[in-house]
Amino acid sequence: MRIMIILFGIFCFGGIPPKINAEQSALEIIERVDRIFRGSSSRGVATMEVVTENWERRITVELWSLGTDHSLVRILEPAKEAGTATLMVETNIWNYLPKVDRTIKIPVSMMSGSWMGSHLNNDDLVKLSQLVEDYDIEIVFDGERDSVAVWEFRLTPKLNVAVVWGHIDYRVRQEDDMPLWARYYDEDGELVRTMIFRDFYNLGGRVLPRVTDIFQEDKPGERTTFRYRELEFDIDIDRSFFSIQTLKRKN
Amino acid sequence: MALGSNIHVGMCFRIGCLNLNRHRKRTVFTALGLGVGYFAAVFISGWMNGIQAEMVENATSLVSGQIEIHSSSYRPERSLYETIGGRSGVNVEGLLRQVSSDPTVISAAPRVYVGGLISSGESTSAGMLMGIQPDLESTLSRFLNELVEGRLPEPGQNEILIGTEMARQLGVLIGNELVVVAPGADGSMGNDLFKVIGFFRTGLSEFDVGVGVMHLEDLQLLASLDRNRIHEVAVSTLSPSIAAETAERLRDTLASDEIEIAVEPWTELRPAIVEYVALMGSAHLIVFSIVFFIALFGVANTMLMATFERRREFAVMLALGTNPWEIVLIVVCEAVAIGLLSLLLGTVVTLPLMEWWQNAPLDLSRFYGDLNFLGSLVRPRLRVEYDMGILLQAAAMLLTTAVVASIYPAVKAAKVPPADTLSGL
Repeated sequence: MRIMIILFGIFCFGGIPPKINAEQSALEIIERVDRIFRGSSSRGVATMEVVTENWERRITVELWSLGTDHSLVRILEPAKEAGTATLMVETNIWNYLPKVDRTIKIPVSMMSGSWMGSHLNNDDLVKLSQLVEDYDIEIVFDGERDSVAVWEFRLTPKLNVAVVWGHIDYRVRQEDDMPLWARYYDEDGELVRTMIFRDFYNLGGRVLPRVTDIFQEDKPGERTTFRYRELEFDIDIDRSFFSIQTLKRKN
Repeated sequence: MALGSNIHVGMCFRIGCLNLNRHRKRTVFTALGLGVGYFAAVFISGWMNGIQAEMVENATSLVSGQIEIHSSSYRPERSLYETIGGRSGVNVEGLLRQVSSDPTVISAAPRVYVGGLISSGESTSAGMLMGIQPDLESTLSRFLNELVEGRLPEPGQNEILIGTEMARQLGVLIGNELVVVAPGADGSMGNDLFKVIGFFRTGLSEFDVGVGVMHLEDLQLLASLDRNRIHEVAVSTLSPSIAAETAERLRDTLASDEIEIAVEPWTELRPAIVEYVALMGSAHLIVFSIVFFIALFGVANTMLMATFERRREFAVMLALGTNPWEIVLIVVCEAVAIGLLSLLLGTVVTLPLMEWWQNAPLDLSRFYGDLNFLGSLVRPRLRVEYDMGILLQAAAMLLTTAVVASIYPAVKAAKVPPADTLSGL
């Protein structure tokens, strides 16, 4: 569920009743998140459009997820890179390179490297899904913004936890618990990254954003846009699916 | 020149020399003290010079050039996309020709750098991939001329050289294949198999563990860079000391409205080494001062004893009408004579040793290994670099020490009360 968790911003606001209310404690929210995602499985097809100062590219990927610790992403298009795949199991990441028919494990020193050329890095994939474990959550605003009833949450790092972000702000629409945006700040309180969630739709009782835009403050004009074309939940896969053998499968 | 009533400087010097004969052993030991001081001063200065030379040489010829030419926006991020001439690149041949036309330039070589992954089986290293043209590179940087094993890469063969430490960590041998992954300039993820054809060892630990060297064309292909896109032209000049002037000239030569180029000599790329060299340069005087300050007290003590023993002699001279300044001059001349003797002894010992160590530095690897200092390498060798300047400075300090050490004993000798001394009081 890792990729979905990140890209839908639903790690703590899953869109499943009961609704979050202002009285809920951070602990209750976390427990609810666990309940929502533990054991959930999914498969989807999405396009990722990356626009940088130097190039633009669009790739189509197929994704599988199980819980918060198992994910597999395989490139379908363009043909030049088809079959290239990423397997994430807990904090480990492997890449399969069909051109040379080899699998390489991403070393810790390269975790800050870009994931498939996007504005997310490998570390984001591993650590963003652990936000509920590493951060305290509090509701800092409950009211209307632009005539829409919203909550604004602030995630601040727990004591003695090594984290990347100084704090993270989320705006969530009260109507359907959908996140509208997430803003990531560094230790100095400077905005580093903004994720905007849009084009919400209902899939099997789950309301989800179809599109996620990621912007980096230090790279104006650049963005990564992730758009789902297909998505299904509770598919018949288990942990054994997330193996090196599956990673190497061409299709 | 005549001094006082009837004693000349030459005579004073002769008297001083004759006095040295009275206690030959004492004279020899005093002279040895100063001579050892002379050796110590020259040796320490020479060793410091040797370390400086080693650092500068290794910073400018081991891997890096004495001058580096980049796109003006390449440093400090060293982005893959910031090639010379931007996305459209540059006429590499023409640029190399222009650079090489400077009379002080020995060679110029194009380079491409791409951060990537180098993987063998279960082991993967993150590192920098360096694309070179071996024929040009071998005239510019030393590390490829001293391969531990193997040969240089050929174009189109997907061959790679890695450091010995990376080879150890990856557990690879010559002939093994490595998976090399690098981000492409078009956003793709370049990946291919490369055959290990050799190992280098620079002694720079970060370089030996984190760099893979391949042919320029192969790396350009891997990183989806056109042939005319390079990140750097490394330049070697006749001497590191003229690199800044050459860079200045190249800036004018290469100045263009179309391409923003940064031409930086090692003195700008490695300011820490420049500062260190300046610091070491100023430390020479401190070393000389400490060494001769220690020697000063030894000589002063000896001279004081010598003049005390001869106070009756000085009393007679003064009683016979010798000017006290002439007594001072005699003692000072005696000190100068000791100084000259010390200089002779010191030179006899120092010159052969310095010449030996300059030409054949002693191997100190049993005491310590390669030192990485300020990003440069200092090998475990007793390398000394000395010149006439150091020898003359040390000689001047030695003679000054001898003279200064003799002033107090000389003044004491000149103030001997003749009547009291001769009456035994």
